[in-house]
Amino acid sequence: MKLPFRGFNAILYKEFLVVLRDPLTLFFMFFPPLIEMIAFGYALDNDVKHMAMVVLNEDRTVESRQLIDRFVNTQTFRVVGEVQSVDEMAAAIRQGKAYIGLQIPPNFTRDLHAGRNAQVQVLIDGSSSTIASSALNTALGVSFRESVFRLLGETGRRELPVEVRPQILFNPAMRSPNFFVPGVIGVVLQIATTFATAMSLVRERERGTLEQLLVSPLSRWGLMLGKLVPYLCIGMVMASGLIAIMNWLFHVPIAGSLSALFAGIVVYIFCLLSLGLLVSTRAQNQIQALQMSMVFIMPSVFFSGFIFPRETMPWIFYAIGSLLPTTYFIELARAVILRGASLADFWQHLVILAGMGLALFALCALRFRKKIG
Amino acid sequence: MIACENLTKKFGHFTAVDHVSFTVSKGSIFGFLGPNGSGKSTVIRMLCGLLEPSQGRATIAGHDVARETERIKSLIGYMSQKFSLYDELTVHENLMFYGRLYGLSGAGLLQRRDELVALAHLEPYLHRRAALLSGGWRQRLAMACALVHKPSVLFLDEPTAGIDPVARRELWDLLFEFSSMGMTLFVTTHYMDEAERCSHVGYIHMSKLVVCGEPDDLKQLPVVNPPESKRLDVTCDHVTVGLQAIRQLPGVRTATVFGQSMHLLVDESVSEQSIRERLAGVGIHQADIRPIAPSLEDVFVALTNRNDGDGR
Repeated sequence: MKLPFRGFNAILYKEFLVVLRDPLTLFFMFFPPLIEMIAFGYALDNDVKHMAMVVLNEDRTVESRQLIDRFVNTQTFRVVGEVQSVDEMAAAIRQGKAYIGLQIPPNFTRDLHAGRNAQVQVLIDGSSSTIASSALNTALGVSFRESVFRLLGETGRRELPVEVRPQILFNPAMRSPNFFVPGVIGVVLQIATTFATAMSLVRERERGTLEQLLVSPLSRWGLMLGKLVPYLCIGMVMASGLIAIMNWLFHVPIAGSLSALFAGIVVYIFCLLSLGLLVSTRAQNQIQALQMSMVFIMPSVFFSGFIFPRETMPWIFYAIGSLLPTTYFIELARAVILRGASLADFWQHLVILAGMGLALFALCALRFRKKIG
Repeated sequence: MIACENLTKKFGHFTAVDHVSFTVSKGSIFGFLGPNGSGKSTVIRMLCGLLEPSQGRATIAGHDVARETERIKSLIGYMSQKFSLYDELTVHENLMFYGRLYGLSGAGLLQRRDELVALAHLEPYLHRRAALLSGGWRQRLAMACALVHKPSVLFLDEPTAGIDPVARRELWDLLFEFSSMGMTLFVTTHYMDEAERCSHVGYIHMSKLVVCGEPDDLKQLPVVNPPESKRLDVTCDHVTVGLQAIRQLPGVRTATVFGQSMHLLVDESVSEQSIRERLAGVGIHQADIRPIAPSLEDVFVALTNRNDGDGR
């Protein structure tokens, strides 16, 4: 009698009981992902608003004050203080009291009315590139608007010769949680599920129960599938929780269908669990399992497009990203959640994830030797 | 039932089991003895198909353990050194798990569980988690789990290590019961008194099988009973003082204390009278002297000494 999944029902029964009886493991599966999700979700908000700005107004006219108001009205800057000299302004930025210094020279209004080039200096703290580029864009925008409206007034034309009317689709408010949170779900799921399965077989090895399983007629496919299914269920519960948090705590709407999203999640978790099992067929103890899992988790954080767009990466990192399940899941999740894409638009991603999952699962069942030593 | 032929296992340059050959017949209790690290567990693991032999072969009921591993799995039960159980599961759940693992289900599974519970007297702890059981109960449960599929050969790797004497005796009573039902038992142990109870014993030392046979036969071996010598038991007061004195006596080959007495291996020519005189010299006037047969421990000590001598 040679059944390919022999012993599966026994392992499934045991594994469910073991997992549910072990509150510590459950806690460590559920709690860190929730914290990570909340932390990432808030911390990765790089919408830059109300940056501290110091002002050195040497002109002190209505026009110069109007200009300062224009800066403040963009919502990007807020005035935190007036300074009396360029040195003082530079010091404020150096000390971190302000990101931006706005210097309006004494002859600003005079030059403006004389039709000469009226100059204003903006000092930007470049130590944070996101903040600096946002500040730079806003400052240039303010100067451009001022110039254009003055020119319009001089020529007597009412309207701009050319006007671009941008319309932002899918995330009209351009909120960064909408971009980041689906990615966070991908990364957080990976950390929790890969560790969980990576540990489960290794723990049996350490305790000696693996030996007991190996002398039984249990088949390796039965063992692997029995180990995987309970964690797949737990992973789905976790994913549902994370999606709920995304929707209710971070107010990220799900534009596409929920069933499409969950189809992606099932296949993705299957993939991750197989990866964890693969680790556990190699690792001899829990420390090794942890370290080996980290080898897969770290690249997923950096090269999957979770934070940094993959298109701008050097080819080698782009290539690494192409090998990671997380990359495909994040692209799929963003498409479904933000752009309302259907599975028909992203079926390739699903196929790639399923292919990876099946290949990893087959690999760990085949690699797993029913011998010790 | 079990047959090994030049069974050898090498881990790199280290030879853990070196050309071991023996046979175990059906229904016997085979005691496998040897110090820690001598290769006992490695032999068991090879016989259970957990380790691939480097050389030689072993069969169980005629099936090669390395090539027909799946075939032998239904024939053997294995209780490992650590009584490997799932601590999170209760006694009942552990039994149900192992039952399912061996393909039992439904009424058959429940019936087998009831049989095992009755056999190992596990009723009082049926719904207690394995983690909360004491050593003796863990061992009973582990044994019940190993028996779930009614194996014809049961391997027990140090089943009595770390459990109390009552549980130890009860386990042995069970083993005799199994043996009388035709089950073959392969037991490793450190305890000489357990070895004495086995129908056959093998002694492994430094990866090599030193001797194998029935305890009574082993005690007749020439190396254990050197020519022109006899074994005596001397029971007296102040036995340690007496021991020092006796060791000085010409013709005394070995002298070892056993509780209130000492065991001597002496030349045939050493008389009871000379022993009494020597003891009286250190103030011991009362001594009970009688001839004894060698114990298994004497057998293993003699064989180990001879082998160590050969090796150097």
